[in-house]
Amino acid sequence: MDRKKIKFALGAALIVGAIGYLITTGINSTSTYFFTVSELMDQKVSFHGTGLKVKGNVVEGSIERDPNDYLSVQFAIEEKNSNLNVVYQGVTPDMFQDGGEVVVEGALDDKGVFHANTLLTSCPSKYEAEKEAGGKHPGTLPGYKSKPELDLKKIDSLPKTTV
Amino acid sequence: MNDIGEFTLMVALATSLYGTVAYVMAARGNRIDIYLSADKVPLITWACVMISSIALWKAFFTNDFSLQYVYAYSNIELDYFYKFSSFWGGQKGSLLFWALILTSYMIVVHFQNRSKNLIVVPYAMAVMLAVTCFFLFLLNFSTNPFERIPLPPEDGRGLNPLLQNYWMVIHPPTLYLGYVGFTVPFAFAVAALISKNLDDSWIRLTRKWTVVSWFFLCMGNLFGASWAYVELGWGGYWAWDPVENAAFMPLIVATAYLHSVMIQEKKDMMKVWNMSLILLTFVMTIFGTFITRSGLIQSVHTFDEATLGYYFLGLLFFIIVACTALIISRLPLLKSKNELDSFLSREAGFLFNNLLLLGIAFATFWGTIFPIISEAIRGVKITVGPPFYNQVNVPIGLALLALIGIGPIIAWRRATWSNLKKNFLKPLIVAVVGGAVLFPIVPLSSRSEVYTYITFILCFFVLSSMLIEFYKGTMARQASSDSIVGALGSLIWNNKRRYGGYTVHIGVVMIYAGIAASSSYGIHTEKRLTIGETIEIRDYMLRYEKLAAIQATSVKTRIIAQLAVEKDGKKIWTARPEKEFYKGQNQPVSEVDVRSTLASDLYVILADFSEDESATIKVYHNPMVKWLWTGGWVIALGTMVCAWPDRLEQRRRLERLKRQQIVFSPAQE
Repeated sequence: MDRKKIKFALGAALIVGAIGYLITTGINSTSTYFFTVSELMDQKVSFHGTGLKVKGNVVEGSIERDPNDYLSVQFAIEEKNSNLNVVYQGVTPDMFQDGGEVVVEGALDDKGVFHANTLLTSCPSKYEAEKEAGGKHPGTLPGYKSKPELDLKKIDSLPKTTV
Repeated sequence: MNDIGEFTLMVALATSLYGTVAYVMAARGNRIDIYLSADKVPLITWACVMISSIALWKAFFTNDFSLQYVYAYSNIELDYFYKFSSFWGGQKGSLLFWALILTSYMIVVHFQNRSKNLIVVPYAMAVMLAVTCFFLFLLNFSTNPFERIPLPPEDGRGLNPLLQNYWMVIHPPTLYLGYVGFTVPFAFAVAALISKNLDDSWIRLTRKWTVVSWFFLCMGNLFGASWAYVELGWGGYWAWDPVENAAFMPLIVATAYLHSVMIQEKKDMMKVWNMSLILLTFVMTIFGTFITRSGLIQSVHTFDEATLGYYFLGLLFFIIVACTALIISRLPLLKSKNELDSFLSREAGFLFNNLLLLGIAFATFWGTIFPIISEAIRGVKITVGPPFYNQVNVPIGLALLALIGIGPIIAWRRATWSNLKKNFLKPLIVAVVGGAVLFPIVPLSSRSEVYTYITFILCFFVLSSMLIEFYKGTMARQASSDSIVGALGSLIWNNKRRYGGYTVHIGVVMIYAGIAASSSYGIHTEKRLTIGETIEIRDYMLRYEKLAAIQATSVKTRIIAQLAVEKDGKKIWTARPEKEFYKGQNQPVSEVDVRSTLASDLYVILADFSEDESATIKVYHNPMVKWLWTGGWVIALGTMVCAWPDRLEQRRRLERLKRQQIVFSPAQE
């Protein structure tokens, strides 16, 4: 190989190396563990303090809001008989409700309470609706039971306007 | 009509299978009879897919809920606008839509090229038909949109309210037009490899296709960002979600390809590289489809049908193995005639641009599949989020931005000191002055703010270098033209590719500036308000005035909060964020209200409300978001200039064809 080629190979290698370095350090410093609730409970090592993502379903009736501060929420998520208490500060997504699947991101404190700094509800899209219905055969679909209707009471009590 | 639709899908599969085989046979055996027969296939396949699509549309418009797909994505009260777009609302329809676009592209290619090149074109048609076959196979045997429900229900389940937004009609087709479009250059590249016609004719034949597909992909990404911004209500436009990455990666690889083919056209270099890039672009479009359809990677908006993933995985594996083998077997023919001379040259600039773009694509790819890899190797699922992508892609992106400024003004082959001084001095002065002016104004307390500051300096540099190019060209022409506008017009008109490209770069610079400012200077605040209370953000004060419920239609109830927005004591705007409740859907949809100016966006969300008319309001102040969308329109303008039919280029192509026909004609006998 002549000198010119070596020069360019070195230059390219330098760029590739720099990008590789960025990627490895990026992965090391930003990655978070992703568990379901039961997987987290099964872990032998203590994870408190490290960044975690945990997936589970909201326990029925567990959502409590602080009466003085509406934006402070406490709830529990469950999966396969494991439970995790979560506290969260902020606006909750539209689909945050009893039984709904959520992914919380944050860290555990030493009492085992999860402090979430983000709260995500799973797939809002109808794409997954078929799975929820419990069957994939189109013949069974008409019997599909929709989830209970929204509580429209609070809407009815508002002043009515017409368009 | 449903039976017809189902039947034509089968016919389409059969004819496309025949066409693939026949085109290959015709080209290999020089059989003109088979060629004439195969020549009818593209049109027949297209017609069949079209009829089948019309049948599905008809089912949507006539509320035919005996089709499971219509039942799942529409209902009687759905607006016609959305009935039309429900077509691609789910898995099955979107695959049919894909097939429809692919076959439509195919007949355009067919009519454009069939008399032009009888060696490369048949193979290219065969490749396109083979890809069509794959999708038609899925449509017939795995995800048939004409699947029936034995006892048709009276009403459908309706389209997800989140998808009931006008972007639903614009964004998916735009993205698909881009995705599918890259099949064309890919097919010609493979055809060139098979037929050993490895000069740059395949690149020239498909240049417009590349530019237009790139444009649609770019717009698709921007439209998606803008949809997410107005609809999802989290104050941002990009979250590095796997599905977003799936659309982003092909765009980045295609950008690399778009640049490196210029080197092959001008210098006859980087042939293997270009082949690999177009292969990679196509693989990325299929990989993107695979991600969205396999449910393998957790994301906000995946389709749910696990088995389909294996088909796509199989296709990906096949394409990668087959094409790599093909490229390796043709390596001796792909030797470059020239080589790089100096780091300080435009060629080297293109090389580094490519490496950086691929670096971004690879980092994004790695982050997207990292959970799977870590689970396979270490048994724990480790995910990376936006911090990873920002940490890696921002520095690479900044280097790339610098290259946008350097590339067009550095000399070919080897830049001399005087060339550097002549071209770089003014832009560098502008950058330094701009940086100095901004220094006391912008905050520099965090890493992201420092990055933003660097971005602004680079933007000054790139923008001034571009404008100087325009200025110099105009001045040179002014002698022969009477006005400056006329000179500028004729400059652009006679060098469409060059100045169209520069215009696209200006758009890209605007997007960079918008992203930089909005991602580090944005702030938000949230507060529970009772009527009359206020919430403050930057210089704005929002006073909560009232809450009202409106029964908009029989299925939709709108809850609207009204806030008066004041700045410096003067009322400037009334914000009306909403929450919409749809009957039959178990989740409300937030409709944000945005006041958008070039300086900043005020973005107001009604997060929650209760019976006593108190409401939780969340407000974002996002600077310069509008620059992204404006930059998008500038890119559109630039691409239009680039892709506009050019008489000079046509003449050149005709001459080339004449030359080629001398070379090719013996084979046709």
